Amino acid sequence: MSTPFTQPPVHGIVAEMPSAQVLFHAAEKLRDRGFKHWDVHTPFPIHGMDAAMGLKKSPVGYFVFFGGLTGSLVALTLAGYPSIIEYPLIVAGKPLNLFTIPAFFPIIFELTILLSAFTAVGSLLAFSGLPRWNHPVFNWDKFARVSDDGFFVLIEAKDAQFNEKGTAKLLAELGATDIALVHEDPI
Amino acid sequence: MSDPSHATFQVPPPEFFDRAKAGVTMLVLGGAGLLALLACVVGYFVNPAQLAFSWLFAFTFFFTICCGSLFWVLLHHATDAAWSVVVRRQVENIAGLFPWLALFFVPIALLAAPYLYSWMAIDPASDHLLHEKAFYLKPGLFYLRALGYFGFLILVSRAFRRHSVRQDATGDVKHTFAMRKWAFGGLPLFAVSLTFAAVDWLMALDYTWFSTMWGVYIFAGSALSSMAVLILLITWLRGRGYLANVVSQEHYLIMGKLLFAFCVFWAYIGFSQYMLIWYANIPEETSYFLRRNTESWNMLNIILVIGHFFIPFLFLLRRRVKQTAGVVCIVAIWILVMHLLDIYIIVMPVLHPGGFTPHPLDALALAAIGGLLGFFFLSSLGKNSLFAARDPRLIESLKCTN
Repeated sequence: MSTPFTQPPVHGIVAEMPSAQVLFHAAEKLRDRGFKHWDVHTPFPIHGMDAAMGLKKSPVGYFVFFGGLTGSLVALTLAGYPSIIEYPLIVAGKPLNLFTIPAFFPIIFELTILLSAFTAVGSLLAFSGLPRWNHPVFNWDKFARVSDDGFFVLIEAKDAQFNEKGTAKLLAELGATDIALVHEDPI
Repeated sequence: MSDPSHATFQVPPPEFFDRAKAGVTMLVLGGAGLLALLACVVGYFVNPAQLAFSWLFAFTFFFTICCGSLFWVLLHHATDAAWSVVVRRQVENIAGLFPWLALFFVPIALLAAPYLYSWMAIDPASDHLLHEKAFYLKPGLFYLRALGYFGFLILVSRAFRRHSVRQDATGDVKHTFAMRKWAFGGLPLFAVSLTFAAVDWLMALDYTWFSTMWGVYIFAGSALSSMAVLILLITWLRGRGYLANVVSQEHYLIMGKLLFAFCVFWAYIGFSQYMLIWYANIPEETSYFLRRNTESWNMLNIILVIGHFFIPFLFLLRRRVKQTAGVVCIVAIWILVMHLLDIYIIVMPVLHPGGFTPHPLDALALAAIGGLLGFFFLSSLGKNSLFAARDPRLIESLKCTN
């Protein structure tokens, strides 16, 4: 049972870096030290940060492929089953078998795109853990500068190598100008 | 694992192709080309009509590749692209083959009237359809236009190559600006040239037929096949030890993406043309597909749809495939074979409406033009650096990541 005076558990440590360059090299070092649960936050995308952080290829593409495949097959079934099998349409001497497929291509194309786009957006949100109301990192006021001129790195407490003193010291060594301990949202 | 966009780059020294080391390749290409050319001359006396069509088929295949290469040069400058600086010299070199192509056009010009283009032999007064098109389909105009296309293509490809090569010596940025300026005027004129060349030499094989998608369709195949040739050429040069520190996996990825994009574009244009004609079912439009969707041509056409689009599309979807030189080369060869089939289906059914009739002259004409073009290409390859050594965007190109 928590009393109003106890802090919620620690979420992680956020450190502000003076520049994109320092942040980039800090990310490389954190990657090489084997940190797993951490992230960087910047006002703009930094080229090569994926490699510097050691991020793996996003799995979104595979979901999009199967989303698109589903779209193609659904469209082929929806258009093909009624007008080939159930109630063959006799139009302008067009064939009554699968060779009438050119007529279905526009709808196959559209549904492929539609379901691909849906899966792309949906799986992207799911992998990013969105939508959510708030993030503990916003409990530090200074973090608001991330959308202006602040470069931040966050190491989460659930990382195996995390300990409050050691990680803060490491971040200071990597060039952090300001370091803060952020807690989970109070319940 | 360091990231190229943050690494420091030294300007690589220009690299020159050593002709002496490619002596055997050149001998084989030139020898095979000459022998095949002789065989084609013999073929003229055996079966002139077959030779005319085989030659047109082979000529079109190489003409589209050169046109596509010129398109990539123009596009590079019009979009002020950075990534392609390291591979641009090679497309310039391929586009530099236009004077030789003009020479290879001579047999087509000579054989046009009796064998290739039936409209040349028909009196417009006796055929209403031809009469309607007679303002365009006049033998004199046909040759004049061919002269115009080649004049423009040779002029533009040479001008761009000259500027680019001069920049190697001086490093002057004014060449980059000049080329960019010319690219804006060059692109629309290029589009007009390729479109009307496609109309004159391919669509007019059957003067009763027309398609407004025709120029774009030929262009789609040109851009695609020339990108495949570029990938193969760069890989061949790298296999011989050139461009080792110049072209990276990142450039392969971009070339692979463009290969993929134009594979889709070709299918999009090809299908748009097919579906509109198929759906409307108007006799004056359907003649082209009617001939190619009957007899054994139908099977080849189905192979084309699957092989030219579905197989490379599914294969090139994955990033790793596009990044790996060895794998993307297999796709490039496959696409070139399919492009060959595409041109074959365009040209040959006019001569053999009864079905697929392969003839040794098809292969001989391909070997003659291909072998000689390869020989001319290699013999002038060593004159200049293998990449634009002093382009202002060279470092940017070396650093490119995607």
